[in-house]
Amino acid sequence: MKRKLALAICLIMGIVMMVQFFIPHPTSLQFNSMILKWVIILSAFAMVLAIGNLSRHHGLIIRKKKKNWFYSVVTLTSMGAMAIIGLFWGVDAGSLFQSIYLNIFAPLSATMFALLAYYMASAAYRAFRARSLEATLLLAAAFIVMIGFMPFGQYIHPRFPSFAEWIMQVPNMASQRGILFGVAFGSIATALKIILGIERSWLGGKE
Amino acid sequence: MKWFEVISKIDRRIIYLLLTLFVILPLFIPIKIPQNIMPQTQKLFDFVDSIRPDDKAVMLSLDYTPQTAPECHPMALAILKHCFARNIPVVGVSYDPQGPGLAVEAFATVVDDINRQASIKEDSVIYGEDYVYLGWKSGRIAALLEMGESIISVYPRDHFRNAVDSFPIMARVKNYKDIAIAIVLAAAAYPDDWVLYPQSRYGIKVGAGLTAVMAPKYYPFLQTGQFSGMVSGMKGAAEYEHLIFAHGYTKDLGTAETGMSAQSMIHILIIIFIIMGNIGYFFSRRKK
Repeated sequence: MKRKLALAICLIMGIVMMVQFFIPHPTSLQFNSMILKWVIILSAFAMVLAIGNLSRHHGLIIRKKKKNWFYSVVTLTSMGAMAIIGLFWGVDAGSLFQSIYLNIFAPLSATMFALLAYYMASAAYRAFRARSLEATLLLAAAFIVMIGFMPFGQYIHPRFPSFAEWIMQVPNMASQRGILFGVAFGSIATALKIILGIERSWLGGKE
Repeated sequence: MKWFEVISKIDRRIIYLLLTLFVILPLFIPIKIPQNIMPQTQKLFDFVDSIRPDDKAVMLSLDYTPQTAPECHPMALAILKHCFARNIPVVGVSYDPQGPGLAVEAFATVVDDINRQASIKEDSVIYGEDYVYLGWKSGRIAALLEMGESIISVYPRDHFRNAVDSFPIMARVKNYKDIAIAIVLAAAAYPDDWVLYPQSRYGIKVGAGLTAVMAPKYYPFLQTGQFSGMVSGMKGAAEYEHLIFAHGYTKDLGTAETGMSAQSMIHILIIIFIIMGNIGYFFSRRKK
């Protein structure tokens, strides 16, 4: 019964919101506005759920003293400390919260991301080889785009930037558009399957 | 070991060392390289430049993270400088939880810089009058749609917990009708949502500032006119910096210009490595 009720709500709301999109009457707009506010509030509850989940997961690791449990202590302490600092001392420019964010979190995140450059350079050197016609085409396109988009590119040949732009505007755009269409059709099909109750994994995955 | 085997089997530690040198050296010895402005950057600049002063606002969605800040943060600074120099009101929002920290920093940097140089009150930029930062909101898609009806109903309080209806700027910026363009600075697929929902429903103009990796995906949006311009990667940010500098909106170039020297050097190094790897591969295959 519980599952049928959830499916019925999903079906009714899915159809109502689709129909509502095409009715510009004030009542319809008011209804839409109300539903959107509900969604914003419900999304905020997802955050509570996420915090609960994270705390439970890491709490369990600490309690059972599993491998690398001290990293879980760092995670929970950081989460709690940042929340308390933000809640009680504010998040203005120059606040303690902002200082920690800019001077600890931001450089650490940037460092992790910057390491990718080393791996990419090494991987490009080892793996980017003209082994087949397709790989050669990819290599040539990558070369032209990289050189064309570099400020130096125009000095190597004045046509490089416009040729690089052509690659982005024509072959790249054609393939991207194909992917976008595929994603859009897939999204429509999945949405319809959920609204009509064919796809039920969102209910917990059991029949 | 033959020469072609040597160039195709360079130790990765040598690659890492050269990479480090090629990043660090241009930061100390900057190389001035004239920028060729890409059409999409010019388009966004022209759009912002055509907004009448003290009329419609620019909505800036700051959704980039510290990882991508070297590419997106200079864009935010350049666009803010451009808007404030032209007296265009700015409404800042964020839908990525990591966005607000950098957004607060971006506003503070630009506003402090302008106010330090301002000799009279009219030249200064005032919070609540010339700009406001509304902060992060959960339920992104619902929030984007609801702002088409009323921004205050989505954001009754700003990022700093002030009542938004007390700000003079919000008396004239009520919903998307009062927004000239929403510029989304993002390191993830946030611009898609702006096009799919508020643009298709309310017709709001959308511009984007993206990381270079993301840019190829968004070319179709430019061609269809769904994007009114796009700044891509550090190069795009450097181009925007050049444009506002050339038009006299700022007295100096920003950080993207310096970063471009290092990035260009790295690209050259990677190209050299790929060529060497392929020459080695070609000769070793011929030998077999």
